Amino acid sequence: MKKTKLQILTNGIIRENPVLVLVLGTCPTLAISTQAINGLGMGVSVLVVLTCSNIMISALKRIIPDTVRIPCYIVVIASFVTMVQLALKAYLPSLDKALGVYIPLIVVNCIILGRAEAFASKNSVIDSMLDGIGMGIGYTLTATVMACIRELLGSGTIFGHTVTAGTITPFTIMVMAPGGFFVFGCLIALVNKLTKGKAREKQQNKCLGCPGAAFCSQKVEEGGAEE
Amino acid sequence: MAERHTNLIVASAPHVVSPANTASIMRDVLIALIPALAVSVYVFGIRALMLSVCCVVFCVFFEWLSRRIMKRSNTIGDLSAAVTGLILAFNLPVRLPFWMAAVGCLIAIVVVKQLFGGLGQNFANPAIVGRITLFIGFASPMANWTITSRMSQAILSAAEVDATTGATPLALSAAGLPVPTNMEMFLGLINGSMGEISAAALLLGGIYLIVRKVISPAIPVSFLATVAVLSLVFGLDPIFQLCAGGVMLGAIFMATDYVTSPITTTGRIIFGIGCGVFTMLIRVYASYPEGVSFAILLMNILTPHIDRLTRHKTFKPAEGGASK
Amino acid sequence: MGFSKHLNGVHVNHSKNTAGLPIIPMPAPEKVYIPMSQHIGAPCTPVVKVGDAVKTGQIIGDSDARTSAPIHSSVSGTVEAITQGMTQAGKIDTIVVIKSDGKRELADTVVPPEINSFEEFVAAVRASGVVGLGGAGFPMGTKFNIKPGTVEYLIINGAECEPYITVDHAAMLEFTRDIIDGIRATMKWLQIPKCYIGIEGNKPDAIAKFNELLKGDESIKVHELRQIYPQGAERVIIYETTGRIVSYGMIPWNAGCIVANVTSMLKMSHYLKTGLPLVSKYITVDGDIVVHPQNVLVPIGTPIADVIDFCGGLKEEPGKIILGGPMMGRATPSDEYSVCKSNSAILCFSKAFSNQRKETACINCGRCVAACPMSLMPARISRAFKDKDVEALKELDVLYCMDCGSCAYVCPARKPLNFEFRQAKAMVMEASKK
Repeated sequence: MKKTKLQILTNGIIRENPVLVLVLGTCPTLAISTQAINGLGMGVSVLVVLTCSNIMISALKRIIPDTVRIPCYIVVIASFVTMVQLALKAYLPSLDKALGVYIPLIVVNCIILGRAEAFASKNSVIDSMLDGIGMGIGYTLTATVMACIRELLGSGTIFGHTVTAGTITPFTIMVMAPGGFFVFGCLIALVNKLTKGKAREKQQNKCLGCPGAAFCSQKVEEGGAEE
Repeated sequence: MAERHTNLIVASAPHVVSPANTASIMRDVLIALIPALAVSVYVFGIRALMLSVCCVVFCVFFEWLSRRIMKRSNTIGDLSAAVTGLILAFNLPVRLPFWMAAVGCLIAIVVVKQLFGGLGQNFANPAIVGRITLFIGFASPMANWTITSRMSQAILSAAEVDATTGATPLALSAAGLPVPTNMEMFLGLINGSMGEISAAALLLGGIYLIVRKVISPAIPVSFLATVAVLSLVFGLDPIFQLCAGGVMLGAIFMATDYVTSPITTTGRIIFGIGCGVFTMLIRVYASYPEGVSFAILLMNILTPHIDRLTRHKTFKPAEGGASK
Repeated sequence: MGFSKHLNGVHVNHSKNTAGLPIIPMPAPEKVYIPMSQHIGAPCTPVVKVGDAVKTGQIIGDSDARTSAPIHSSVSGTVEAITQGMTQAGKIDTIVVIKSDGKRELADTVVPPEINSFEEFVAAVRASGVVGLGGAGFPMGTKFNIKPGTVEYLIINGAECEPYITVDHAAMLEFTRDIIDGIRATMKWLQIPKCYIGIEGNKPDAIAKFNELLKGDESIKVHELRQIYPQGAERVIIYETTGRIVSYGMIPWNAGCIVANVTSMLKMSHYLKTGLPLVSKYITVDGDIVVHPQNVLVPIGTPIADVIDFCGGLKEEPGKIILGGPMMGRATPSDEYSVCKSNSAILCFSKAFSNQRKETACINCGRCVAACPMSLMPARISRAFKDKDVEALKELDVLYCMDCGSCAYVCPARKPLNFEFRQAKAMVMEASKK
């Protein structure tokens, strides 16, 4: 079944949300989602890099030799990351400072590499661009929502604006690592509930439970036939 | 001929069971906690009782709610949630706002216990995780030690000198201020979390539990002995170290939690020693004045490994050897 | 060996309500229903026909198999039917129905056997029809059919560790001398140098009586067992008396021991003296709803309901009727079944008493681990069973479980642990067959 263009675009928002369903790129997500502005900034950076690299890799897919494709993807992604980082440094130095090492680390972000490998290398340029935008929006939403929750509970503010701070003692553990994992777990549970676990049911073969189940190139039918 | 009975209950042996069940065990734990609660109310006033009731009610409520949402059988009857609530309350300073206590209950019951599968499946003691979460999340309210006139002279004078000093004996000791006498420490006329102050009351509860065979003495004895021995090694007063902070509460009521402690006696002794070692290491070398809850949490996580290492040897002849 | 001096166990309320009461003989019932398989091993084939006149002690079923024991008529009368029917073990079996004439006349064959050799002794033990009367039901003639001189210890099991049951106790007090005579005969013909009589410490009068009669005899020793369940389990009593280890896949003979129940020894002794085979059984009738709890001598094949009626009937509708002790006995679905050789008690409990088990989650309290006489890890076996993890079950030595029920008795979560382990054992055996 071929997906429509709209489906490709919306796919990454909930149904195949890169963080909450595919469980990719969790490390930077957990690390930066302490403040909403950081989450948004990181999300947009990833969105830009992901869209550009998807377009580029899709366009070059016939030129890139299969055996060295990963280094090639890395080079492409690294170029875009460098551009984004330099842009941030020039126009939003405070955000750049807050995100610190996580911007250069987008190079090895598994979402981008994962989409390059699983989608862009097999699909047309337009589809890849839509996928990149969709996945990027999904990531941005997740990072921002997580960051809003953690910032509200842990510091009593949202996007730096006071909401409850001063009236209610903030629950500082929410901006620390345990709070991050806790919110992450809750959001995964919520998405699982919303999609009724559909994203996971795709894979009924041996590798069930693998985080890559939803976009794994090995189809269910093939896995089933092997049995 | 008398009437025949052809529809009798058929069940597997044994047809008699010991009188102890989960609820009766938990009830015994609650009874054992009463002396410490009484001392707490005596020293801190009626708010100690209110905070305890609040914690118990919230824990039972969250247990009921989460089981209901997850469509599982209702388990509040086993009283384990009430025990968690009371022990959590004992770990809190008396002036902690009620809603913060409720957050602790939520973490303890929902996150630590029910999300892992309910009673028997939790990886760590719910009350300890609840306390540690509050301790890290609400650092300043959790260190808000109220001063009441029933406390020892050393604490009252320290409070006059510097009202912002956390005036628990361990904090006084760390700051080099005079500490309460050992008798005051033992009786509990000191500052600290609600339930941990009176070593005497906690020991009374512990003896009740041991006599009722609810807990085995292995963990408390090895825990307390390790703390005493290490105090001597570090050149500290062992009686002060045993009565200060949460050692008694931890050793008797929290480290002995069945679910998160080893199953064999050997394992329990190792567990108790481990708790004692970590407690003293944190007290002496780390930046926190108190380390009981972290020590127990660490050992909780090691429990499955201890269990694996201390399995009983099956009653059978040695491998390949004759039976004689 | 690395094991402590004593094996673990549990403290069970003794509930020996009928202790000290005499054994009352029960008159022959109207009809007896005698199943042809009352022992471990090959079932017997009826040797009588419908309409035959039979007398008490006459053989009505026999088998040529090595592991079997003959079955005798417990009353005098006529064979009314030979049918297929359900027995208390829940199996379909041939049942000989005998209508009693109420006289209980003895058969002509009931004469003391003449014994001059080991072979004759074993034949006589077999002919007595005695099987393991403690509940196991292993034919005694087969048990004794070994090369003389290969056994070092004869162990007489008088532990009676099950709650409620007091018939062994009563028999030990009433027939002390007969038991000792039986032991001496066994030791003589099987050339066993040493005998231990294991009696639990809650029966000091029985211990004293044996000690008095055995004064000066160094070869037979009374061993006072601790008051802890299950001292009467074969592996436990062997270890407690001799320090030897018998475990899964072994029989006591591998460790140079033979274990016999005290009542089995008594019944065998009676046969050697009088020629009367096993036709009746001492039964404790007890339980919270029995009007007159007492010890009775019941002709084998008597329906359970008749025995209960003889004891005054029941105060209320029963919930459970247990054949044997409450720790290892079997709950019978109906009281129409008849009393077998290996029964030692009929316990009737009210519905309220019977419905006391409501399973909750395991809280890892370790009571089962501390209770297991075989030093197994019941909590972990239970978890492995739930996961259907055969490898783990094997590794946890579930096959060494002897189904004593100590773990399930102490479990505060009321988990039917030994019931799970029985299924787990079957799983492991099934897997090892493949």
